[in-house]
Amino acid sequence: MTEKKLKRKTKNVRVIPGFGLSLGITLTVLSFVVIIPLATLVIFTAGMSFNDVIMTVTKPRVLASFRVSFLTAFIASAINTVMGIILAWVLVRYDFPLKRFMDGMIELPFALPTAVAGISLTALTSDNGLVGSFFAKFGIRLAYTRVGITIALIFIGIPFVVRTVQPVLEKLDPSYEEAAGVMGADRFTIFRRVIFPEIWPAAITGFGLAMGRCIGEYGSVVFIAGNQPFETEITPLIIMSKLQEYDYASATAIALVMLIFSFLILFLVSYFQARNTKMIQGGR
Amino acid sequence: MSEENKSYVELKNINKFYGEYHASNNVSFGIEKGKLVALLGPSGSGKTTILRMIAGLEAPDSGEIIIDGQVVNDIPASKRGIGFVFQNYALFRYMTVYENIAFGLRIQKQSNDKIDARVKELVSLIGLDGLEKRYPSQLSGGQRQRVAFARALAPNPHLLLLDEPFAAIDAKVRKELRSWLKNMIEKLGITSIFVTHDQDEAVEVADEIIITNKGRVEQKGSPIDIYKNPETAFAAQFFGQTFFVENYRDFKTFDSVEGASNAVLRPEFLKLTKKDEPKKYSVTIAKAIVQSVDFRGSNIEVTVKYKNNIFIARRTLDEAPVEVGEEVDIFVYRLLVLDGDKVHLLKNRALDEESVVI
Amino acid sequence: MAEKQSNGLVKYFLIAISVIFLFLFLVLPLYVVVTEAFKKGAEQYWQAVSDEYTVKAILLTLEATVFAVVINTVFGVFAAWAVTKFRFEGKKVLTTLIDLPVTVSPIIAGLIYVLTFGRQSILYPLLEKYDIKIVFAVPGIVLATIFVTFPFVSRELIPVLESQGTDEEEAAALMGANGSTIFRRVTFPHIKWALLYGVVLCASRAMGEFGAVSVLSGHLRGKTNTLPLHVEILFNEFQYMPAFAVSSILVVMAILLLIIRSIIEHKGKKETEIR
Repeated sequence: MTEKKLKRKTKNVRVIPGFGLSLGITLTVLSFVVIIPLATLVIFTAGMSFNDVIMTVTKPRVLASFRVSFLTAFIASAINTVMGIILAWVLVRYDFPLKRFMDGMIELPFALPTAVAGISLTALTSDNGLVGSFFAKFGIRLAYTRVGITIALIFIGIPFVVRTVQPVLEKLDPSYEEAAGVMGADRFTIFRRVIFPEIWPAAITGFGLAMGRCIGEYGSVVFIAGNQPFETEITPLIIMSKLQEYDYASATAIALVMLIFSFLILFLVSYFQARNTKMIQGGR
Repeated sequence: MSEENKSYVELKNINKFYGEYHASNNVSFGIEKGKLVALLGPSGSGKTTILRMIAGLEAPDSGEIIIDGQVVNDIPASKRGIGFVFQNYALFRYMTVYENIAFGLRIQKQSNDKIDARVKELVSLIGLDGLEKRYPSQLSGGQRQRVAFARALAPNPHLLLLDEPFAAIDAKVRKELRSWLKNMIEKLGITSIFVTHDQDEAVEVADEIIITNKGRVEQKGSPIDIYKNPETAFAAQFFGQTFFVENYRDFKTFDSVEGASNAVLRPEFLKLTKKDEPKKYSVTIAKAIVQSVDFRGSNIEVTVKYKNNIFIARRTLDEAPVEVGEEVDIFVYRLLVLDGDKVHLLKNRALDEESVVI
Repeated sequence: MAEKQSNGLVKYFLIAISVIFLFLFLVLPLYVVVTEAFKKGAEQYWQAVSDEYTVKAILLTLEATVFAVVINTVFGVFAAWAVTKFRFEGKKVLTTLIDLPVTVSPIIAGLIYVLTFGRQSILYPLLEKYDIKIVFAVPGIVLATIFVTFPFVSRELIPVLESQGTDEEEAAALMGANGSTIFRRVTFPHIKWALLYGVVLCASRAMGEFGAVSVLSGHLRGKTNTLPLHVEILFNEFQYMPAFAVSSILVVMAILLLIIRSIIEHKGKKETEIR
């Protein structure tokens, strides 16, 4: 009885000063930048009728855009996962000239404004562009097709998998592989049985992060996409055009579906990330 | 009133919870001025919580903490006039040794001359002359410990608190540092409390030991006092080298304690004799089998088995060696019988009877 | 011997794939920007870059970037301090909310602000009364830029402060140091490089933001046009050469920040290894 009573008034001392001030500033700025706008979104959504929302998001053109966005983001992220593992491996395990330069280059997609990436990739892959003209000879068009969208998304997503897999590989104890090698395992077996199990949670995390980014990507895609309804129209572009028509209700409805998608991805990512950090810390 | 005046630091009925966990359970004790006291207990026993509450780094949920006759519960940590040495020293990693020690004085806005004099005094006190410009990362563990000590002392605290002061130092340096710290604190005469889980450390350094277990204070007293007269079952087993005996009636000629059967044995409670050696109390001897013999530098530890009990007896190097498998005689002088949480020190009756005869 | 050889073969094969991949996807686009920008000679290039609207766009981009960096830095420092130095309920919710903006598509970020400050908002009458224009005006652009770079500084600081622990601050506080002294003398040296790193990340993302800004800008040339938006307009008007010329400014800025970033990373790593 008394124990229960005592427990309720457990006291906390804060020896380090500045709790009120720092939390106050944090909450104030957070309110203005994030909480109030998010609350508005919730309020606005609450005012919409459920049927209207369903009607809006199930229009064939909108559904087609979901498919285009999801498909291209998935393919781009999958390619980036494979390339990301290779790049991380090369950067961690091998020594060669310009390695540091290459390591720095990986960050370029984060640093380069997406609009710039968009127009230069478009110029590169259009029928008379440096790369596009080569493929045009075989009748393959890159720009203004889904392939073009995928190319832009690959560009955007390059750093994600590399940067999640790299630290895991760095922490990986080489004696593992040596032990496996001594026991007579060939290189492929070593990779499959010893290394891959260690890096795949990180790779999946990177894949998820890239996927989340790619689904919402706008700047680098609009130029190269061609924006043909049903064919190369991505979801963010539909939202953009609804906004330009001042059709806020439709824009919000479509945005909600996208938000649900990206939170779902984020949820899965944080699950894998938790496992991932456990692994990194365990390897210390 | 006079009771209070005697204690420089006093805790009265302190309780502290961390969620469901009762970290301090009705803790009360007093510490005299000038004493060097150890809070000793296994990890999770609540000893660090007590120290942090005295410092003001944690607040008790109920009860009073009194320092120098003043209830300090609502006095912030920085105004309590204490020096605190953290377990990992918490030295400012981006400040030199000099600046670390000077920090508290700079906060008090003392003049540069005064600060300089005090820092120099402390640096030579801890024997680190010439290393003032080093950063903590450039010091050894023992040196860091000394800097932490000097930093805590710089503003002239009335009470020094040390959280596991030797835990992060390797074994070799630890012994040397223990006696250094003891001498230093004695020299300065500052009331000090330190937390440790190592009983050797507590015995060696402290004037007085407070044994904690599961949030409670088990016993308080001088090392020898606790050793001789443990008051609780925990204190009896935690302190010194001890062996658990399931049924003490295995050993004859001891008084019977109603309802109790467990007991604690210590090596110095026993006498081990070889078959052919003369013995004093032939009636009550127990025949035990030697399990192992280990050389321990100044003596030999003989592990023996008697009925279901395994325990250690000591022999000197001068005595005739015993061998594994040999049957030896054991005489038990004393036993600590555990009666619930109470402890009874029983003396072998043979000691009285035969001495009367002789 | 055969083992060794196949080892070498795999190595060069993997390095070759990596180099080709990065060349195609990272180097070529940069090359295209430069060649297209100078296609009609240096004079034309200069004309495009020093064009009145381009200069105005540069200034607006700088303005939005400075605002975003300053606000997010102040916020980031206080938020990181609150989150890492104290125990309190709801910490997890707080950090999730701080990280939220980067997980939202820039277009949706823009949409949220349009809903909050636009014509149909409940706040709109209030804003109109005081003649405050946010949507399709500079404040909207600044806000959108702050939003998309919101956690960039705090995200760099929190792990550093977390691994540093609270011991040093507690020790300083026990000796009576006040908040600003503790921060200045004890905490700041720990986070100096991480802070700088966060600032650079924030700046490089802020100057390049396109989607969110695009929603809120209204594309008024010379008024609400940032550099990336200016690039878009020029490109859509088929003025390719000027579009690439303006892009080259952004490329130079991006690469500069990238270099600064790797220097900071390198120096910071070296210093934390010592301490």
